[in-house]
Amino acid sequence: MKEISTNVLIGKNKFAKLITFPSVFILIITVVGPFAFLLYASFFDWNLTVPAPPRFAWFYNFGLVFKDLRFWNAFKNTSVLMIAGIITQSILGLIIAFLLNRNFRLKKLAITIIALPIMVTPVVLGFNWRIIYHEHFGPLNYIIRLLGGAGSSWIADPKLALFSIFLVDTWQWTPFVTLILLAGLQSIPRQVYEAADVDGATGWQTFRRVTLPLLRPMFVLVVLFRTIWIFKIFDPVYILTGGGPGIATETLSLYTYVSWVKYWRVGYTSALGIVQLIIMTIIAMIFVRKIMRRRRA
Amino acid sequence: MRKVYLLILITSLLLIFSCSMLVQGQTKFNDVTITAFCDAGHNALPFEWYADEFKKAGINVKLVTAPFGNVYEKLKSEFVAGTGAYDVIVFFPLYLGEFAGMGYLKPLDEYAEKYDPHLDDIAAGFLKLYDYYAGKLYTLPYDGDVLSLYFRKDLFNDATEKSNFKKTYNKELVPPVTWDELLDVAKFFTRKSGETLAGQKLVSDFYGYSFLAQRGSFAFAWWLAEFASRGGTYFDKDMNPMINSEGGVTALQRLIDVLPYCPPDVFAYGYDELKDALVLGRTAMCLQWPCIWKKGNDPAQSKIVGNVGVTHVPGVMKDGKLVYRAPMPCGRILAVANASKNPEAAFYVAKLLSDDFSLANVSTTETGLDPYRKSHFNNPKAFSGFAPEKEAAEYLAAIDNNLTYGFPDLNLPGSAEYIDILELHLGKAYTKELSPKEALDAVAKEWDSITDRLGRANQTRIYGELLQSWKEVGLID
Repeated sequence: MKEISTNVLIGKNKFAKLITFPSVFILIITVVGPFAFLLYASFFDWNLTVPAPPRFAWFYNFGLVFKDLRFWNAFKNTSVLMIAGIITQSILGLIIAFLLNRNFRLKKLAITIIALPIMVTPVVLGFNWRIIYHEHFGPLNYIIRLLGGAGSSWIADPKLALFSIFLVDTWQWTPFVTLILLAGLQSIPRQVYEAADVDGATGWQTFRRVTLPLLRPMFVLVVLFRTIWIFKIFDPVYILTGGGPGIATETLSLYTYVSWVKYWRVGYTSALGIVQLIIMTIIAMIFVRKIMRRRRA
Repeated sequence: MRKVYLLILITSLLLIFSCSMLVQGQTKFNDVTITAFCDAGHNALPFEWYADEFKKAGINVKLVTAPFGNVYEKLKSEFVAGTGAYDVIVFFPLYLGEFAGMGYLKPLDEYAEKYDPHLDDIAAGFLKLYDYYAGKLYTLPYDGDVLSLYFRKDLFNDATEKSNFKKTYNKELVPPVTWDELLDVAKFFTRKSGETLAGQKLVSDFYGYSFLAQRGSFAFAWWLAEFASRGGTYFDKDMNPMINSEGGVTALQRLIDVLPYCPPDVFAYGYDELKDALVLGRTAMCLQWPCIWKKGNDPAQSKIVGNVGVTHVPGVMKDGKLVYRAPMPCGRILAVANASKNPEAAFYVAKLLSDDFSLANVSTTETGLDPYRKSHFNNPKAFSGFAPEKEAAEYLAAIDNNLTYGFPDLNLPGSAEYIDILELHLGKAYTKELSPKEALDAVAKEWDSITDRLGRANQTRIYGELLQSWKEVGLID
């Protein structure tokens, strides 16, 4: 076996460092820099609505975050959207994936049509649904009235507004879940089903004991992605309700936005951002650990 | 011979050059380019209409717009970042205190002296409250907003409706003068689909009243209308919130009491929805900005042409006298950014729009801009394209009267946050999440904390100056 000299290894190492330098530099500028600023600003009582200099305030802003009822309201709304969204989208996605996993004519066209909502820009989607939900001119109420119903104030009624946002999110993201689960279904080897068949398993037993366990990694992926995305949900909420009526639909990211660009509370909003980052990191770590453990097994 | 030709050529060139210099000398500015900012939509149109006129003065104007609800964020972001992106800006007086106080705007007294934007022609209340800050001229008016009561003349003049109203309430059916009367009239006109209204069978539900409740659209002004007429102000002289006083709670309770007589989606009503509720024939009355009269008389936009009545906002009886205050929400103003590289040209454009072209801007249905100059109020002929001159004169007189008894927005540093918190809790009271008293107490608590955070001493001083200017124009005692 030919030995590689130490000099060559050192040279290669240097070269490797050199070629990664631009990416590391860009990362420092775009990620580490702003994060460092966020962390720094979170320790200051700093408002940009008055010409007063920032004042070092230790953990004052973090204390405020946990005492802020509006933060907890936004946290509750985000959590409701997240839990309801993930459960509904997973069930619907699984059903649609099963249907698409069969062979039928125009299957490719069906998949393309189902995938369309994912491609719509969130802002455009928000405006479209605003029209759909319109009390007087909206097609949704029109259909409900045709069927003898009374129609509703979908985005103006505080009892319905969050549900209306959940519907929009489900409409847009169920196809994503479907596609992931469909890929999962298609990767399950046919032999596994044949073996289950030979062992005399019923359809339900095959689904419970074979399909679901083999789809589990895909579900973990779906839940991880959807958790992160719903945690950041902004555009549809901003366009449809602006967080209202009152703060009935205000989510964490919308509250952070309002706190920054409407109130210009630099220190407080930074602390709000850090708190969210910690929550998100914990959630992501749980899921990543689950995925890694599965892989090792 | 060649020398003669050469001489003729040189002389001709010199002549052409001198002529061009002469023409250039006639323009005020030397082909400068400035950037203007305005909220998007019909109110930004004048910047495009007069582009050639600006060019004649040697100014090229690049227009940047942002949605109505994002004006504050957009401008503040640019100011904070110090980009110097805009030269002349259109914004709302609600933010004047903050923008001028933070040094984002250029004082205009010097330019006003040079170019004379006819300040004495501007309605006194508007000039004093929305154009001056801390004794300096910072802005010129662009849109003279004030709320008035608009109503369906055909319904109020209908003999059957009049007779039915008299039978029910034992009084004449007239546009409500007090807030108590407004509730009665709103209730009277609210009908279900299939019932009859002014001799016509209704094909959809009809409502007596509509108001603006959408957060971020100056919704607080619909509550302020009664609160101010009850003598309310935002704070006392020591910056203690006054909104949760008895007048504030009564005003909020009134809006909750009138909800059954409003369209069910009224919580989502912004400017367009409220305008449409009246001009598309779904409601009998509303408080609105003046442009609704123009839009309501435009056959392309309205189903009630010729039937838009206007009068002063309702009030309360005090010692046998009617007291009313008309909120002045929104009300666009033109200012010059302190970071502008061409402040003089920017001011000149502002002056042309606020003064020279203003009558045309406020008297067309194509904009939502409203009168603010004496020369507008005294010129009903300019508005006679929508209605007979007599009616136009009545409309202008009603606006002028409401401006005389106008009540200003809170133009204090942090006003965007103060007002957002107020609107948020008004919404909570509308949806019965909180009682009116609980909602306004919560606002007072939050306002106190905002004041402390922004510096109580400084806020008290600035608010004291505002109170002084309100006293000078007779708004408060």
